[in-house]
Parts: sequence; C-alpha cells; structure tokens
Amino acid sequence: MQKKAKNISQKREINSQAPSLFGLLWRYAGVITVLVVLTIIANALSVAVPRIISGAIDTYASGNFLIKKLILEFSLVAVGIFVFTYLQNVAQVLASERVARDLRNDIMAKISVQPFSYIEKITPAKLLTNLTSDVDAVKTFVSLAISSLVSSAFLIGAVAVLLLMMDWKLGLAVLAVMPFIAIVIFVVLGKVHKLFIKSQEAIDWLNKVISESILGAALIRLLDSQNSEYEKFLAANTQAKRVSLKILALFASLVPIITFFTNLATLAIVLLGGHFVIAGSMSLGNFTAFNSYLAILIFPILIIGFMSNVIAQAQASYGRILLVLGAPIEKKTGGLKAKLRGELEVKNVSMNFGEKSVLKNVSFSVKAGSKTAIIGPTAAGKTQLLYLLTGLLTPTSGQIEFDGQDLNAYDKESLHSQVGFVFQDSVLFNLSLRENIAFSDTVKDKNLEKAIATAELQDFVEQLPEKLDTIVSERGTSLSGGQKQRIMLARALALDPKVLLLDDFTARVDTNTEGKILSNIAKNYPELTLISVTQKISSIEHYDQIILLMEGELLAKGTHEQLMALSPEYVQIYQSQRSTNQYE
Amino acid sequence: MNYSLTKTDIKKEREKGVLSTAWQRLVPLMAEESRAVTIAILAILVSSAVTLVVPILIAHIIDVFIVNKNFQGVVSFSEILLVVFLVGLVSNYLQVKMMGGVGRRLLFNLRNKIFNKLQDLPVAFFNQNKAGDLISRINNDTEKLNQFFAQALMQFISNIVLIVGTGIFLLVINWQLGFIALVPAGLALLATQLLSPWVKRTSLKSLRTLGAMSGEIQESINNFKVIVAFNRLGYFREKFRQANQLNYAASVSAGIASNVFNPIYVLVSSLAQLVVLVVGIFLISQGRFTIGLLVGFLLYVNSFYNPLRQLASVWPSLQLALAGLDRISQVLAIESDLQSMPEETDCPLIETDSVLEFKNVFFQYVEGKDVLKDVNFKLESGKTYALVGPTGGGKTTTASLMARLYDPSSGTVLLEGKDIRCWTPSERVKKIGFILQEPFLFTGTVRENILYGNAEHGQFGDEQLKQTLEKMHLTKLLERFTDGLDTRINVGGEAISLGQKQLIAFIRAALRSPDVLILDEATANIDTITEQLLEEILNKLPKQTTKIIIAHRLNTIENADEIFFVNGGQVTHAGSMHQAMDMLLHGERQS
Repeated sequence: MQKKAKNISQKREINSQAPSLFGLLWRYAGVITVLVVLTIIANALSVAVPRIISGAIDTYASGNFLIKKLILEFSLVAVGIFVFTYLQNVAQVLASERVARDLRNDIMAKISVQPFSYIEKITPAKLLTNLTSDVDAVKTFVSLAISSLVSSAFLIGAVAVLLLMMDWKLGLAVLAVMPFIAIVIFVVLGKVHKLFIKSQEAIDWLNKVISESILGAALIRLLDSQNSEYEKFLAANTQAKRVSLKILALFASLVPIITFFTNLATLAIVLLGGHFVIAGSMSLGNFTAFNSYLAILIFPILIIGFMSNVIAQAQASYGRILLVLGAPIEKKTGGLKAKLRGELEVKNVSMNFGEKSVLKNVSFSVKAGSKTAIIGPTAAGKTQLLYLLTGLLTPTSGQIEFDGQDLNAYDKESLHSQVGFVFQDSVLFNLSLRENIAFSDTVKDKNLEKAIATAELQDFVEQLPEKLDTIVSERGTSLSGGQKQRIMLARALALDPKVLLLDDFTARVDTNTEGKILSNIAKNYPELTLISVTQKISSIEHYDQIILLMEGELLAKGTHEQLMALSPEYVQIYQSQRSTNQYE
Repeated sequence: MNYSLTKTDIKKEREKGVLSTAWQRLVPLMAEESRAVTIAILAILVSSAVTLVVPILIAHIIDVFIVNKNFQGVVSFSEILLVVFLVGLVSNYLQVKMMGGVGRRLLFNLRNKIFNKLQDLPVAFFNQNKAGDLISRINNDTEKLNQFFAQALMQFISNIVLIVGTGIFLLVINWQLGFIALVPAGLALLATQLLSPWVKRTSLKSLRTLGAMSGEIQESINNFKVIVAFNRLGYFREKFRQANQLNYAASVSAGIASNVFNPIYVLVSSLAQLVVLVVGIFLISQGRFTIGLLVGFLLYVNSFYNPLRQLASVWPSLQLALAGLDRISQVLAIESDLQSMPEETDCPLIETDSVLEFKNVFFQYVEGKDVLKDVNFKLESGKTYALVGPTGGGKTTTASLMARLYDPSSGTVLLEGKDIRCWTPSERVKKIGFILQEPFLFTGTVRENILYGNAEHGQFGDEQLKQTLEKMHLTKLLERFTDGLDTRINVGGEAISLGQKQLIAFIRAALRSPDVLILDEATANIDTITEQLLEEILNKLPKQTTKIIIAHRLNTIENADEIFFVNGGQVTHAGSMHQAMDMLLHGERQS
C-alpha cells in the first residue's frame, strides 16, 4: 500500500515536470535550430526526387525531353541531399552528446554540494542510474526524436500537400488511410507502455539476482546453493522473457497492419488513378509520382509511432534527473577556519532515522589532547555518533561544539582537514597506494611518511613490487583485512589531524600490531585528541574517559575505575573479557 | 589458475571470420527452434515475394490496361493486388512474430547458460575479475544481442532476401539496365570497406571512455562518505569532469564516423535512379523498353537501395552485438579447475581419526608467490582449534582451503580420510560450515537470510522454525533486530551495522550444525557480551562438532583445545595459550 502511494506521488512529480523536456532544449537553442533547419532542407530535397523523375517521364512523353537539364538538376539535388543529411547527422551528434555531457556535469556538481545523508537517502544505486541510463534516455531523445519528428512531420505535410496539388480527389483518397493508422499506433502504444514498465521491473529483478550472486559468490559456494541461485535467476529470466514476448506480439501486429493500410492506399491509386488516367484527367507521370510518394509516406508514420515511445521514456528519465537537480541544498555551513585545539562538546544530541531513534539525548565533553573511548553492544549507535562528530550526519536535535564553537559555524573543508576518520569498513580506491593514503590534496611528504610508519605499514610497502606506486585493486581483494584497515588509518593520519576518530579499528588488527600502532600514535602525535569506538576494554583502561552507549542511550561516562565502581553494565562487559587480560 | 578475463582479451582480439564464428556459437542455442525458424524463413520469403511482385503487377496494369484504356482489367487486377496484400499482411506478421520469438528464447537460453557457467566457476574467478565487469557482461552484452535480435536481425534477413531478389529481378527484366543500376551499390560497398576501420576505431574508443567514466561514477558515489570526510569532492568532481569530457569527445568523433554510411547510401541510391532514368529513356527512344517497365524498374531500384540503406544503418548494431557475443563467449569458454574427482580408484580411504588433515599443502594465488608453504596438520573431531597470527599471515587462506574455496597448488587436504576433492559439493557443504570474514547478505528478510541455502530448515513453518531457533538458543540473538525474523535487509544500505550482519551470518551457519565449523574473524565487530552468548551457543552444538576459530581478540580463543600459529605461510603448533601469546608478541612478523 505504502509503496503504491509513493509511486503515485513520484509519478505526479514527474508529470508536473513533464513540459521541461522541451524546456531543456532552450539552452541549446542554437544547435537545435541548426539541426531543425538542416533536417528540413535535407527532407525538402529528397521530396523533390520523385518530382524530377515524373517530370522527366512526362517531358519525354510530350517530346521536349532535355537530358542535360535532367542530369544537372538530379545531380545537384543528390549532392545536396548527401551534404545536408550528413550535416544534419553531425548536428544531431553534437547536440545530443553536449546535452548528455552537460547533464552529467550538472548532476555531479549538484551531488558534490549535497551532504552525505542526502546520498544515503537517495541511495548510490539510484544516483548511478540517474547518471547513466537516465541521461542516456534523454540523449537518445535529442539524437533521434528531434530530427525524426521534424522530418516525419515535414514529410507527411509536404507529401500531403503535393498529393493534393497533383490531384485533390486521389490525394484525399490516399490520405484517408492516415487516421486509421494513427488509431492503430495509438492503441498499440497504449498497451505497450504498461508492458515496458513491467519489462523494466523484470530487468531490475534480473540485475539484482545477478549482482548478488556475484558479490556473494563465496557464500554460495560454501553452501553449495548454486541450484537455488539458478532457480531465482530462472524465475526472473522467465518473467523477462514472458513480458518481452508479449511486447513482441504487439509489435508483430503493428508494422504489418500499418503496411497493409498503406497498401490499401496503393490499391486506391491503382483503381482511382487508373480510372483518371483512362479518363484523361491525370497524366501517367503523375500516376507514377503518386506511387513513389506513397512509398515516402510510410516511413514517417512508422517512425512517429516508435518515437512516441522514446519521448515517453526520456520524459520519465528527465523527471527523475530534475528531482536530483532541483533538490534543495542544505544550508551552507559557516566560514570559520580556526585551527582546532581539539576540545569537543556534545550537548543533548538526539538522532532519528525515520521513526527509529538511534541516539537519545547524549551529552559529554572531551578535553583537547585527551583520549576517549566509546564502548557498547552491537547497534548501540556508536558509528552514528562518530558520523555526527564529523558532520557527515546532522543531529535531529542538540548541538556539537568544537573548541566552544558550534560545528555548523566551521567551514566544512577546514574541519575535515583537521579531523581524521578511520571508517569501520575499508574503502580503497583504484589508485596507487600513495594516492590512497595521501588522499587529501594538502598532504605533505613528511606527513605521509610519518603516517605510514605509525600505521606499521613500512614493511608491507617495502615488499610491494612498486612500493607506494602500486595500484590497489578494486575492493582491495589482494590485501588482507588487517592491511586494508591499516591503510585506512594511515590515510587519516596523513592529514596530521588534531582529532582522530577510530571506528572499531582494532577489530581486524592483531594484538601485537595494535599495541605497536597505539604507542606509535601516542609518540608521533602527542597532541592528538583521540576518540575510539572499540570492543576491547584492556586497551582503553588508561583512557581519560570511557563512554558507555546502549541502544542509543549514554549509560555511563568516566574513567575505567569510575565505571567499574558505578556501572554494572560496564562491569559485565569487563567480566566478559577479563579472563584473557593476563596475557596482554 | 588464471581466470582473468581482461588478460585473455588481448589474445582474442584478432580473430578472423567473425561472422562465421558468431554463427557457429549461435546455432547450437537455436537447436530446438527449427520449426519456428523454418516458418519464419518461409514467411520472409513470401513477404519478400509480395514486395517484389507488386511492382510487376503495377507495371502490368499500366502497360496492358491503363495505356490501352481497359478499366475492367484494372479492376480485376486490383482484386489480385488485394489478395497479394492480404498474403503480405499475414506473412509479415508471422515473420516478425516467429523470428522475434526465436531471438527472445535464444536470449533466454544464452542468459541461463552464462549464469550457469558463473555458478560453476570457483571463487578465484570472482577475485580476479571486477564485479562490475561481470554484471555488465550478463546484463548489457546480452541486452545488445537482444536488441540485435529484436530489431536488427529480422531487418537483416529480410533485407538481404529483398536485395538479392530485386537484384535478380533487375537483371532479368533487362540485364543491361540492371547491371547499370547495380554498379553504384558496388561503389557503396567499396566505400564501406574503406571507412569501416575508421568507424570501428572511433566506436571502440568511445566504448572504452564510457567504461572509464562509469568506473569513475561508481567509485565516487559508492564511497561518498570517505570523499566528504577527506575533502576530496573537488578532486573527484574534476576527475569526473575530465572523464566526461573525454567521453564526449570520443562519442562525438564516433558519431561523426558512424553516421557517414547513411548519406553515402542515399547518394548512391540517387545515382542509381538517375542512371536508370537516363539509360531507360534512351532505351525507350530506341523502342527496346516501355514506359511501364521503366516505372516498375525505378520502383525496383528503390526496393533494392532502401534495404541496402537499412542494412547500413543496422551495421553498427551488428558490430556491437558481435562484440557483446565475444565477451560472453569468453566467459563461457572458461573451465573451472575445481572439479570433483569421480573415480573411486583415485580416492583411497585412509583410516584416520582426524576430521581434517593438511598434507604437504602448498598454495599460491599468483604464480611464483607461495602463500602457504608445506603445511601439515591434523584436526580431531569434537575439538576446538584456534588459528592466530599477524595480519596477512595466511589464516584466511588456510581456512579457505579447508572449505575447498580453492584447491592446493600441491599436496592434499583430507576430509575424514578422503581427499576433499573426492567429495561431492553437497556432501562437503553438509560437513563444513564457514563464516566468512566479510558477511554477505541477500536483499530480503532476516528469515530468508538465515535460511539461505538450507534445504532442511527451509521447509519449516513459522512455529517449527521458532522452536528450532529456541532449542539452539539462537532466539536471543534475533532480539537485536527491530522486527525479529521479518526485519528487512537491503544490500548496500548502511541501515544494518557490520555487527548485525555478522550475527546473521553466525545464525545462518549455526542453524545448519555442520560437523566442522570455521569462524574467520566472524565476530570481530560484535560486542563482547553478545560474543559470550555466541560462545554459549557454540558450546551447545553437538559434541562431535569441530570448531576452528580465527580471531584477534583473545577471549574468543581462550577455550581452544589447541592453538596453531600461522605466519609467513607456515602453520605451527603453538601448544598452550601462553606459548601462542609469546609467539604472537615476539615472533618474526611477515605481513
């Protein structure tokens, strides 16, 4: 039910945007005008060909045939058609590619000023569709539909006028089939439109099954569930086949019926025209021309039928693109570019995802240069809290302050260049290791080396064939979990940050390395304010502050000793880890 | 084993006789379509015959009846025309319907075939190829083939029939005039030959720049949080702008190139009409030709050149379809080297008390770089083992070999005394459960995910399933999900935390109660209290369950009966917990 309602509202939005597909073309008025003019010229010339031929036959029959004149006229027209058709095609390519390029740049520019929460809400998958297939649909519209529609309308109009001029009675008889053809196209397309939507859904389904079977390849092999994957695929593929066969059945009837109606027009020409020629009211040349013009008439009719579908698709896609382009930009943050000391204050912060409350009225403060740990069970809101501290998410209510100033007062770039964030999941880019670590553009070589040494990566880098210039592969499959995590740490440290946020950094790094890294940080970055989400109490016992989160609520804060005395939950966690402490 | 598709690309690039190889690949897929294909070809022949016969009839009407002012004859021949048109209607419909059906079913079979092939291939294949590229091969490349079948193939066949038919007619009616009419077509073919390399080169370049741009989009959008947090928005926007501009330039030049054919074919078609007209009139003046024949002849010239023009416009889509078919065939040609050994003789059963045994196992992901070096150990039934060691030391690799995600480069892995390669996959997976380091979930509900690939519990009703979960003490874990079993899961969304994903993966594996359960840092992001719960659950698994645990957090391994130290591709007995710690803290690190 809810889904349906959403669909309807989405549809309405698209509909309200609908006229702007042609509005988009205003920006390209110059090139589009050239395209339209070239299309008309090329088509006008091609309409002249049967006229020249019928003229030649008639003049020959009447005995004043001039071969030189024929050759000259014909050659001029033929070369004209060649030149203008090609120019029209070039204009078409230029216009459509330009529209596509500009749209992509616009979308990307718009996305890049949006906050992270917007991307999360819209979902990357949808933005990807916007940038690829939606833009393609608009591009196809510009490259195919404009010139096709112009030339079809022109040809139908011109041929109709010529037919009526040559012989209005026969002309009317021939044009009488047009309304029938229009009705057939209208009916078929009405039915096909719904099927196209269904077919798109089937393709989406197919895509989902395929990508999940590729991304989950290891799991599928561990469970020997290839057969059930194949069944899923078969179901989706069968549905896709069924819909496409239905579409086929409709189209299989469309073209033959249109052709048949045009053939009926031929019959009218033969019967009526033949009668007129026999009666002497029509020349044989005109009779021939009628036949040729009819052949010219078929294509524009078919093309209009096909193009109405292209237009519908482009309109829907452009509507989706406009939703992205028209989204309001969140208010710009302040311009404060102060150097951070590293003091932090979280005041009554709450955070909701829809109806789900993730953080409830959380308050704590962090002194500059101190070490704070955030600890708590799965799904307690720890990661979200870190996102709030960097401004990746905005709290539903409450305030976050750096050095006594509201987070929003700061220039975001200046803030991000002083706050390093080591994410829980490893994100590596298809770049060299150097670029992956010196990820911001302000990193100095000295800082890079220090970061690599601190993250205990120097041995790893040494044994790589091209050292720091080795290209890291997609999803970092060639690296172990711990290596990836250490690269993420080095990336954050390379900023030479004042504040470092670690999200479960130690989970994939062995105890020995972890110990070394933490003492490296203490030694190499003595003034750093450290906030670390972790599960392991043994490594945070000496921290200045420990914050215990549970289901979004701050249960307790204080030093290890204070929490041991005050918080039964903390003691419970401690007990759960106690037995191994003797080894560490 | 090299499964990389990009590496084989280069070798395959220069293959001769592209069309005939494509034909050979498609024919077996059409095996069951002979009836439909026959009907379609008959329909194509009939409808082409209709197209060809109509000008003759009209020429006949003009020459015999209209010129002689016999209207009765016009009427009776018009009746014949009507019948011919009706025949055309039916044959046209049959032609599109049958051939289109063949194409759709062929696409259906081809997709099934690739998907099946992908399911046959081992994990190594997926590690060596980009997920995006594979998805694109199944989706986009088959779609290109589909477009070709849906639209182009029919035009292709019927146009070729028409071209050949009209060509013959032209020559039969008057071979001299016919020959003259066909000469411009030769010129067009020559031009096509000369221009094709240019078109192909520019199209390829534009496809490549398109790929590069999509890669740029994928990478930046999917990792937006990192880019924001590190102030790299400007950098990525600029990189995207460049990729976009490159794609624009390449697409424009490809467009300019591939649009050259249409005007050329229009030009030669005009040229042919002119020549026929001039020569025709000359022949008439000599009394060797009639006006009616000339009108008919001009119609034939049109019916010869129109399909030729259409062929020229379909040509690029054929090229694209062939390229797609090439990329698909590449996948289909890859054979898995992870087959099970069928012969009993190759599989001697060794009397042993160990569940799992590694015998002189060597393993390498890439040629020449051993990840495991001469690994030997035995695991006994019902015991708990821990694998510890620095990152990058080979723990995950060792575990992967136990579950036969890979085969050793040399040496053997024995499962219950039998070479692991001798077990059928279904027997093997019943015995071995493996919780992966990176948990993978399918879009769906928690219930669907924990029952995934589980034939036994998959049949259970709601109550029965709840009872089973309760009996195995798994119910408490489900409290971590807002809607319990019915909580929705969206792959790629951030709404579910890594810890929660690990919980689902844990339940999924535990529910199957395998004989050997491997946990590869399976609880790394789960808090220690929940982890204790997991440990209790593990302890309540049947007594004979062998557990193999890889972890960094020591509390998870402290109850192990035996500890192995994995480092630098070697697996050594560590003895007690103390010894293991000692090795971890002071041992040579080789990561």
